[in-house]
Amino acid sequence: MAGYGNGYGPSGQGQDIPMQDRSHFNPAYRDDSLQRDRVAVDMEGIRMEERRGSDGSREYCPEGSTRRRWAATAEPRDTADLINALPSRQLEQIASGVAAKESIRRRKSSRRSIHGTLRAARGKDANEVADSFTRNDDYMDELDGEARTTETLRRMVLPMHDKLSIKRTTSETRKQMTLKRGQTHKKIGWWKRTKYSIGISWMHFKHRMAEFAYSLELWRSHMKKIEGHFGTGVTSYFLFLKWLFLLNIPVFTLTLGFVVVPQILYRYNIKVPSGYGFSVNETSVSFTGEELLTGGNWFNNTELYYGFYTDQVIEIPVNSTTSYNMKYAYLFTCGGYYILCLITLAISISQSYKMNYIEGSGTHTFYNVSRVFCGWDYNITDKAAARLKHKSFYNEMKEYLSGSKKKSHKKNMEERCKLLFLRVLTNLLILGSIAGLSYLVFWISGSGTLKGSVYILSDLALSLCVSAIFLVFPPIFSKIAQFEKYEEPKNELYINMIRTMLLKTCVLGILVYFWFTDTAKDKYSCWETAVGSEIYRLVLVDFFFILGATFFLEFLRRICGQYCCNKGNEEQEGQAMGPEFDIGRNTLDLIYSQALCWLGTFYSPLLSLVMMVKLFIIFYVKMVSVLQNCQPSLRPWRAAKSHTIFMGFLFFFFLMAMVAVAVGVIIIEPSKVCGPFRGEEKAYSIVTNLIDSWKGDLKVLHDIINFISSPGSIASILVALCVGTYYMRIVMIGHKEMVTLLRQQLHMEGRDKAYLLRMLQDVSQKKKEKLGPSNVNRLLSPTSNSTLEAGQRTAGRRVFARTAADTVATMAPGNTRMRNLNGVLR
Amino acid sequence: MGNKVGVFTDEQIEAFQDCTFFTKKEILRIFRRFRELAPNAIPKVMSSVDTNRIRLPYQQVKAMTELKENPFCERICQVFSEDGTGALSFEDFLDLFSVLSEIAPRELKTVYAFKIYDFDGDNYLGKEDLRSTLRCLTRNELSEEEVEFVVEKVLEETDLDDDGKLSYIEFEHVISRSPDFMTTFHVRI
Repeated sequence: MAGYGNGYGPSGQGQDIPMQDRSHFNPAYRDDSLQRDRVAVDMEGIRMEERRGSDGSREYCPEGSTRRRWAATAEPRDTADLINALPSRQLEQIASGVAAKESIRRRKSSRRSIHGTLRAARGKDANEVADSFTRNDDYMDELDGEARTTETLRRMVLPMHDKLSIKRTTSETRKQMTLKRGQTHKKIGWWKRTKYSIGISWMHFKHRMAEFAYSLELWRSHMKKIEGHFGTGVTSYFLFLKWLFLLNIPVFTLTLGFVVVPQILYRYNIKVPSGYGFSVNETSVSFTGEELLTGGNWFNNTELYYGFYTDQVIEIPVNSTTSYNMKYAYLFTCGGYYILCLITLAISISQSYKMNYIEGSGTHTFYNVSRVFCGWDYNITDKAAARLKHKSFYNEMKEYLSGSKKKSHKKNMEERCKLLFLRVLTNLLILGSIAGLSYLVFWISGSGTLKGSVYILSDLALSLCVSAIFLVFPPIFSKIAQFEKYEEPKNELYINMIRTMLLKTCVLGILVYFWFTDTAKDKYSCWETAVGSEIYRLVLVDFFFILGATFFLEFLRRICGQYCCNKGNEEQEGQAMGPEFDIGRNTLDLIYSQALCWLGTFYSPLLSLVMMVKLFIIFYVKMVSVLQNCQPSLRPWRAAKSHTIFMGFLFFFFLMAMVAVAVGVIIIEPSKVCGPFRGEEKAYSIVTNLIDSWKGDLKVLHDIINFISSPGSIASILVALCVGTYYMRIVMIGHKEMVTLLRQQLHMEGRDKAYLLRMLQDVSQKKKEKLGPSNVNRLLSPTSNSTLEAGQRTAGRRVFARTAADTVATMAPGNTRMRNLNGVLR
Repeated sequence: MGNKVGVFTDEQIEAFQDCTFFTKKEILRIFRRFRELAPNAIPKVMSSVDTNRIRLPYQQVKAMTELKENPFCERICQVFSEDGTGALSFEDFLDLFSVLSEIAPRELKTVYAFKIYDFDGDNYLGKEDLRSTLRCLTRNELSEEEVEFVVEKVLEETDLDDDGKLSYIEFEHVISRSPDFMTTFHVRI
């Protein structure tokens, strides 16, 4: 009934079959005795004729078979019907079966066989499908039935109208059955009723949350515009930005709620110090605008920095017994949001890895198929972008065709040595430059000569230097990488990204080392605030550099492109001018900013707010720039794989930041004059003191913690994890081998099927010739129909083939080929 | 709720919510877009008969920004229309965007993608279907031999049982291994 491809029935006149029915004449029914393995274009060994269809298209048919001969007889109807009856053809049925399995997997509770009722949905109309729903008790259950029906119905492949009528019918039937049940049986128990009401209210809550989240969805219309113009590659950058923004929100709320607000309340009550403008030795400092840039002076004594927080036990309200220990609050909040970020990152990266690497890999690469079927980005709505996408696809195909036609140039020993030497040289060069730059940064942070000379810039010297390094050197690295002549551009891209990350890690590492060894030496100054303000300056200057880079690299390049290179462009009318949006570089910038934020939040609790504002502004700036200045790129960007890699980088940076802060807490001594941990030997010692204090009354807890943190148990946990990973790897290798084996079996089964179908064609043709044209329809008479059905119902094709062979043998005993077939199958 | 006369009754909205992956607001938004395509033909309030009976012809649906530049626009409309001509009622329209939305599961999208690429509707992706797909993607710019070559390569990679065409199972096997499918086969509305 549906409009899903009804136009394929044979015309039945026996004359020329129209063009769209050509799919029946499968050129794969070749003579299999030549033992060819696969379909090749040149089809050696088989004499194939090229036929020109009336629309000029070409078709390859086995020699000797003529379309006219097939068309002249009514034979196609028989084999066509047979082909249509094959189970693998029943698309709706397979899809419904999958839908049923999916919904069962999700529910995990149903034990009855839903398969049976839905498999029967093949080819039937809505009423019959509704009947199969009503017959199944799981769907008619008054408590859960509606939810189950909805879930299965959503996933079924049916026209919308049918779905609506099925839903209506099942709801009515369910209501009637509930009423009937209510009259005859006793009432449902108390437990079931509560479960029901909880389930219903939970579903309503979910609906309302979904609606609320939908209306709140950040930047939805902007994303849509970008997606329409540029496709999924550039959109992945903006989605990543949005994800980072959302990740910072809980971090900020935690610090605000547990650390900043109590501090404000404490100061409000106790009034020490009495205002914001006092520095450590009680001299007053006023707020001038420059503090926003340097993050020092006036800001030193605000909640922005670690140094301002008290180490007292706060009593709120004043002089009551409920106490709030600021030390514990500060440390545990820090631990809390790190663990939150860790869990979020671990979950995202494992999901992303699973989707893109494990399921995406395998024994075979699906290069061409992915290009063809996933090649078109359905999001594109802009005409110019669509044209560019077509062009990009065309270029990809052309590149692939030319690349596969010429054989890859085998390098001889000499060339390989030269390439190896070149690569070693470039790697040494890059590592050397990274080391040199790190030393430069170390020297700048250490030297006092640069400071004090210029007004604001002296404070910003370090940050400007670091940001300038990150702006200038990665493009130099990518230029050097071009000399290395990587074969695949994908490899070159990854190498560049790894080198940039290595540079950033080294520079940050050197800075942290400097702060912990040099700045932290002086215990009588507030070194944590100094570190915090340094990180604030880094974040701020990084922000300005991103804005500047957007302006110079994208805006000005477009202007230059428009006005300078006007000569040869008259024929390319309407083509977008301008640079391409460099997704890799921009995403790495975002990752670096976020790493700074994670590093600095311990020393500057409000830094996550600064980060959120920064991300918010960057989104709008980048969006405007991309839409105005950039053009979509011709090269396709593999968003899924790159997403996994970027998440990997982010996770790596997160771990480094966490390690750095952990070192700061556990090993470095806090300053004696400011901050929540003043006077403690190490910031971590409050935890050890807390655990020790349990020795008295909570001895069990104390012993448990001691046991868990002992070296023996940690070592055994690590060993267990290693063993688990090794086991998973072995299982994976086993599965891969299994997949190869199954592929081969499938291949053979396919050839069996083709062979048997061809045998059947020959049989039916011979029978038709023997019986004469008037009896042609006897072939699909009830007896042979029952043969077919018997074959389908019982196990497999062998039985069917044997029955068919029996039929053949009784009819044409003189035919040696058929006897051979008989012999083979018995 | 009040006594305001909405576009749909509550039962209709609930039925739509249960049969698609949309929330109430999204359904109303999609209805607004549907109405924009032909403001004269579509009434402001749709009964449950109207949602099936009133169909927009293909030419009007094609004018929509989300579908305009899509080379498979015609096939998409044909697959989702009840009579195969591309004329969409509101229910079909909703179904179309529900399947192409972000939350639709991969299996559902795979089935519909298979139907879309199956130009001749025989439940197999034969060589002619692949050729038509390639021609749509490159707008007839590749030559005949190149198209043929790519089609052969595609069949080589995916045809497990070597019958010269892709069945749904083979197609699904490929798509489940392509991580880009979910992001590209997605229309935001």
